[in-house]
Amino acid sequence: MKGILKFRWILLFLAIFLVTLTVGCSSEDDASEEGTGNDSSEGAKEVEGEIAGDLEIQYFVGGYGDSWWKEVIADFQKEYPDVTIIEHAGPNINEEMRSRWVSNDPPDVVYIDGAGSSETQMVEDGQLMNLTDWVEGIELENGDKLVESFIVDPGKFDGEIYSLPLVFDTWGTWYDRALFEEKGYEVPTDFDSFMNAMAEIKKGEGIDPFVTSGQHPYYFLRGMLYPAFGAAGGDELLADLITGKEGAWTSDIVLETMKKVEKMQQEGMFDSGLGALNHTQSQMNFLLHKNAFIPVGFWLPNEMANDIPKGFDFGFIPSPMQDVGEPFAIVPDLRPLAIAENAENPKAAKAFVEFAFTREYAMSFSEHTGAIMNLTGVDLTANDKIPSYLTEANAMINDPEQVQIYEKPHPMSADLETPIGNALMSLMLGNMTAEEFVKEAEKAAENYRNSN
Amino acid sequence: MVQSKKQKYLFLAFCLVPTFIMFAIFTLYPLFSGLYYSFFDWSGASQHKEFVGLANYISLLKDAIIPDTIIHDYFLVATKVIGIMILAMFFAVALTQLKIKEAPFYRIVFFFPNIMSVVVIGILWTFIYNPNLGLINSGLEFLGLESFAKPWLGDENWALPSLVLPSIWAGIGLFLLMLMGGIANVSKSYYEAAEIDGASQWQQFWKVTLPLVWPQIKISVLYIVITTLNGSFIIVQVMTGGGPNNATHVMGSYLYQQAFVQYNFGYGATIGVMILILSLLTVLILQFFMRREKVEY
Repeated sequence: MKGILKFRWILLFLAIFLVTLTVGCSSEDDASEEGTGNDSSEGAKEVEGEIAGDLEIQYFVGGYGDSWWKEVIADFQKEYPDVTIIEHAGPNINEEMRSRWVSNDPPDVVYIDGAGSSETQMVEDGQLMNLTDWVEGIELENGDKLVESFIVDPGKFDGEIYSLPLVFDTWGTWYDRALFEEKGYEVPTDFDSFMNAMAEIKKGEGIDPFVTSGQHPYYFLRGMLYPAFGAAGGDELLADLITGKEGAWTSDIVLETMKKVEKMQQEGMFDSGLGALNHTQSQMNFLLHKNAFIPVGFWLPNEMANDIPKGFDFGFIPSPMQDVGEPFAIVPDLRPLAIAENAENPKAAKAFVEFAFTREYAMSFSEHTGAIMNLTGVDLTANDKIPSYLTEANAMINDPEQVQIYEKPHPMSADLETPIGNALMSLMLGNMTAEEFVKEAEKAAENYRNSN
Repeated sequence: MVQSKKQKYLFLAFCLVPTFIMFAIFTLYPLFSGLYYSFFDWSGASQHKEFVGLANYISLLKDAIIPDTIIHDYFLVATKVIGIMILAMFFAVALTQLKIKEAPFYRIVFFFPNIMSVVVIGILWTFIYNPNLGLINSGLEFLGLESFAKPWLGDENWALPSLVLPSIWAGIGLFLLMLMGGIANVSKSYYEAAEIDGASQWQQFWKVTLPLVWPQIKISVLYIVITTLNGSFIIVQVMTGGGPNNATHVMGSYLYQQAFVQYNFGYGATIGVMILILSLLTVLILQFFMRREKVEY
């Protein structure tokens, strides 16, 4: 009797165990079948008919806020009353929506920005619709073709377009114009004058002039080094570094640039505590005049809007890492809008994307966010709601004598950016030389090449 | 009325089956699915995954950061066990034996960090360590010890030791209560007898208190080891994110970085398997070394 009971217990145990496992596994099998059944070109074909039904839009809310989105979505709703719009928005939306993407039930439209999102990864995973053919047909309000009106063209993966760059952001170096005017400090125009200005400020104010987030070394990488590499070696060098091409990181041109960083460290220009700071702490330091320069994107004034001291006047220059006599360099950072490969309502999704790309919304984007939408022919100077740093930066960016625009092929993969960022932090803390850094970076690039 | 065997087993099943189902869903299933994913190259953000056999385990062995994360974890384990046990024991003895009037007040003070979320503790201590505005550096400056001021969490050598203090501070309360419970159960007559025999306070502690609260000490140590190996992730993630230059990465935070920042979910799962194996081994070894005959006087 006892034996039988024991046997029953074992059976029960096994049965429950098997049931839980099969439930788990079978749901995965079903889903992966659906995933492979889709053809990437299928979604791009237009189907004529009513635009109605549910439209799910996922957008990250960060430094730019969400007021622009609210305006566009409300207008879209008026234009297409039969569409029910479901918004998925917030600062953690990329994490919150991840399970939807994994289970092949994505939203229709996605704005790719913020922590936890990676356009490169999404394209590699086949999650975004191929828009190459469809985008040709889109026109702006005055009949201009959209593809000819981008400031920076869409990123391409093997020649195909999977997303449309909505926000034109760029990293640069910020300073307090009011402080500079009051004390007569020179605004830098190249690396040498940058070093001179920092030396003067170090003496005059008794502070370490430069700060960035040590917890997120990519702030320095994207904000200072990309422009430096662009100025030194153009698009080609940038592409080689981002794709981890053999020998790119150990090239002389990169070593020279890294020597500049080493020099900044040796002369005590970096905040001695920056290794500990996260991005808000570093920005707070900057606002409190504990430092004079910080590399951040256009979103800085908006992000820190509640903490700006009285009299603080944001000044923006492209990061001055280039040699004397060279124009400034900027490397735009684009935040794209895309449609999911498995969107349930591709028609409405396309209607929305087309709806958002207009010069009118580009103007209102700058008003709402203090940043620029990626469309040419938007005259910001006439609009007094737009902050002065933006109109000035916009004028600079449009003057090739002053500023050269360099483009990266696509954002750097986190698999490469993380180890390079770590080594960079060591260099900036003075625990590594420029020579050691380039070797470490080359090693990281080699690992990256091997893993793909 | 005598219960039949059937009734007895029905009752047992009634108690055990729901628990077991919960256990299967929330512990066994994640455990085995973690093991399953460790054999795949998977970004963790899509459906697409590819079976790669032991490739993730091979990369694990070749990954230069892994040994560092293991060392960092065991550094935290060792410092936390020593720090928490010594302080908790000291306070427990002081609060029970020394007949301090304010004992209940101190008990609350020491236990207070335990009711706070570790995330809050991490953020709080990040402010304390802040290189410019933080309490520690300002305090050192106030005392004229500027030369000792450091960017604690931003220094490759000091970041990891700096994490020990908040971990200990957050951990003392619970073990203090456990040890106090143990000490309160020791009969007063042992101490009286020891005193008559001429034993000093110190000897009483070593010969009476310590052997009699050994079971509590053993459980506390095991508990600290397990929670540190599995949970040091939180404090690292909140305070340093593993930086600067991997100086504070523990296995858990490196797992998080690989799985959710670098999109190598399969590799992250492999690190998870490693954590499981190391935790099990550590606990087994500790059990072996800490076994002692039960003491009764």
